Amino acid sequence: MSIAEQSIIPARQADWKQRDRHGENLNLKGQVAVVTGGATGSGRASAGKRADRGAAVMVADINDSASAATAAEVAEIAGRSACFRVDVTDVGACSDLAAKTLEVLGPADILINNAGVAGAPNWQKRSFSTEEDWKMTYRVNVIGMSNIVTAFEPQMAKRRSGRVVNIASIAGREGRPSLPHYSASKAAVISLTQSTALELARYNITVNAICPGLLWTPMWEQVGERYAREVPAYAGMSARQVFDVMIADRIPMKSEQTPEDIAETVVFFTSYDAKNITGQALNVDGGLFMR
Amino acid sequence: MDFEGKTSVVTGGAGGIGRGIAHALARRGSNVLIADTNEESAVKVVAELMAFGAHASFCETDVTAQWSTDEMVEAALEEFGQLDVLVNNAGVGGARDFTFRKTPNIDDWLATFDVNVFGIVNGIQSVEKYMLDRGYGKIVNIASIAGRSGGAGFTAYGASKAAAINVSQAWAFKLAPHGINVNTVCPGLIWTPLWESIGEWRSLTSRQHTGMTSRQVFERAVAESVPLGREQTPEDVGNAVAYLASDRARSITGQALNVDGGIRMN
Ligand SMILES: NC(=O)c1ccc[n+]([C@@H]2O[C@H](COP(=O)([O-])OP(=O)(O)OC[C@H]3O[C@@H](n4cnc5c(N)ncnc54)[C@H](O)[C@@H]3O)[C@@H](O)[C@H]2O)c1
Ligand SMILES: NC(=O)c1ccc[n+]([C@@H]2O[C@H](COP(=O)([O-])OP(=O)(O)OC[C@H]3O[C@@H](n4cnc5c(N)ncnc54)[C@H](O)[C@@H]3O)[C@@H](O)[C@H]2O)c1
Repeated sequence: MSIAEQSIIPARQADWKQRDRHGENLNLKGQVAVVTGGATGSGRASAGKRADRGAAVMVADINDSASAATAAEVAEIAGRSACFRVDVTDVGACSDLAAKTLEVLGPADILINNAGVAGAPNWQKRSFSTEEDWKMTYRVNVIGMSNIVTAFEPQMAKRRSGRVVNIASIAGREGRPSLPHYSASKAAVISLTQSTALELARYNITVNAICPGLLWTPMWEQVGERYAREVPAYAGMSARQVFDVMIADRIPMKSEQTPEDIAETVVFFTSYDAKNITGQALNVDGGLFMR
Repeated sequence: MDFEGKTSVVTGGAGGIGRGIAHALARRGSNVLIADTNEESAVKVVAELMAFGAHASFCETDVTAQWSTDEMVEAALEEFGQLDVLVNNAGVGGARDFTFRKTPNIDDWLATFDVNVFGIVNGIQSVEKYMLDRGYGKIVNIASIAGRSGGAGFTAYGASKAAAINVSQAWAFKLAPHGINVNTVCPGLIWTPLWESIGEWRSLTSRQHTGMTSRQVFERAVAESVPLGREQTPEDVGNAVAYLASDRARSITGQALNVDGGIRMN
């Protein structure tokens, strides 16, 4: 048989047609997805997008009321969803979340590690990093991610399938003077993604990271507030004005990225289409960083 | 469907991966022009796509010549009326007889840079004016994980693929303000005619691989290097290209994405 004949494409055609809903392979029907930090911002968009593609979604967030609202939105789209109050830094709470997910929705197919903070409370009011900022970003952004993966690993390993997407940041691609604790934690997320990918590859679980650029979310409102106060060039501007100036000055595409953009990338990484992609970190940043 | 009414050109579309890319785009509604030097294989791919219900045609193209990629773009516009996606996928491992040499000679260096680098430059240069005028376009270049870092042996090929990633970034910057995305896919280990010749090269020139068939060399490479433990397919690359070329990825530009089962992590 020649190589061309051996190719898997024709054999898969029937299979493809079956799976197709949008004429491509991004359908998540019947899957169970868990979104941490899913109550607001880009996590909320990810939860909605998953539901849109047919997945049942568990919205897990420390913010109880907002996650209930997001879960209700998701239920309206997909019919199945739940929410659970979890602090990802609490190992016990993470295993409770895993148990609860199994009980109400079934074993998880997809984990979206999106919960994140830019510092300890009131970080946006400070011009320097405190020890608490360092600890808090590391505990939530990095250790929290590891806690969630550890809690769900048995469910995924048992079925020899799973998809994990970690939300890092372009801040993790390069050190910079503002918010060094946040940048360092996001660099750690990229590294953790690689370690986890290697560790879980044997169970056919893929692990990838997304590095968003500039997203107008509650977090960025606070970042903008801090810049307006700390950086002379932004003095007197509103958070949104700072955001707009940064887009114009720094983003090659001259447009902001949106939670929807991140959600689409999450869908790609968790779809059948990306079954052979693991350990990668993909910037969704309008071309700001090219590595 | 993501590419309903759109037109894609796939260079090297007659080859193993190119065919996978053409299928992935056609299945999502795109018209496809196969641009390749190999008419015999290209015609077969076109027939497959048409059997599937897609609009497809062939344009004999040598990507190493600017006049030829100019003609390729004209052919797409003439046949389909518009051009939305250019996939620069044509590539070679060396000069025609590279499998017999342990280290590349000047012919291999020239051949890899001619096709794998200048082929991309020519393709982009032929299409950019049209895309700039229109304020819309998607370009996806196929490099390789071999371009992610230098290594012994397949040096010319690896260097040409590193250059391909760099060239993609340069045009991503240039075209970013104009609604044109330029990204790269770096495939890992995919069983195609190209890999068949790489396997042959290893069995002829490396003592560890003496006496092995090309497929055996390939399987050993997969077993030794792929964390997910399986080969990647033309379909995998096609799916990644289709994502990056779609409006879903509108905020992604200048990126290189490895589709390699975790061999390299960037
Ligand atoms: N906004 C941006 O420009 C941007 C850029 C790059 C990366 N990111 C990352 O994207 C992710 C989402 O950010 P966002 O902008 O939507 O911010 P956000 O503040 O709107 O959302 C973060 C969510 O995480 C939740 N959370 C915080 N601590 C938690 C904990 N201990 N346990 C459980 N949930 C917790 C919050 O309640 C909130 O719902 C974060 O990881 C962030 O670092 C954001
Ligand atoms: N097979 C792999 O494992 C692998 C891994 C990484 C990258 N790649 C890259 O993927 C691309 C496709 O490779 P493949 O494995 O399908 O190889 P292939 O040999 O099957 O296909 C290459 C195609 O390019 C065409 N081509 C060669 N020179 C040309 C020219 N001057 N003008 C027009 N067409 C030309 C050939 O006729 C052939 O149809 C190449 O760029 C290759 O370097 C392949």
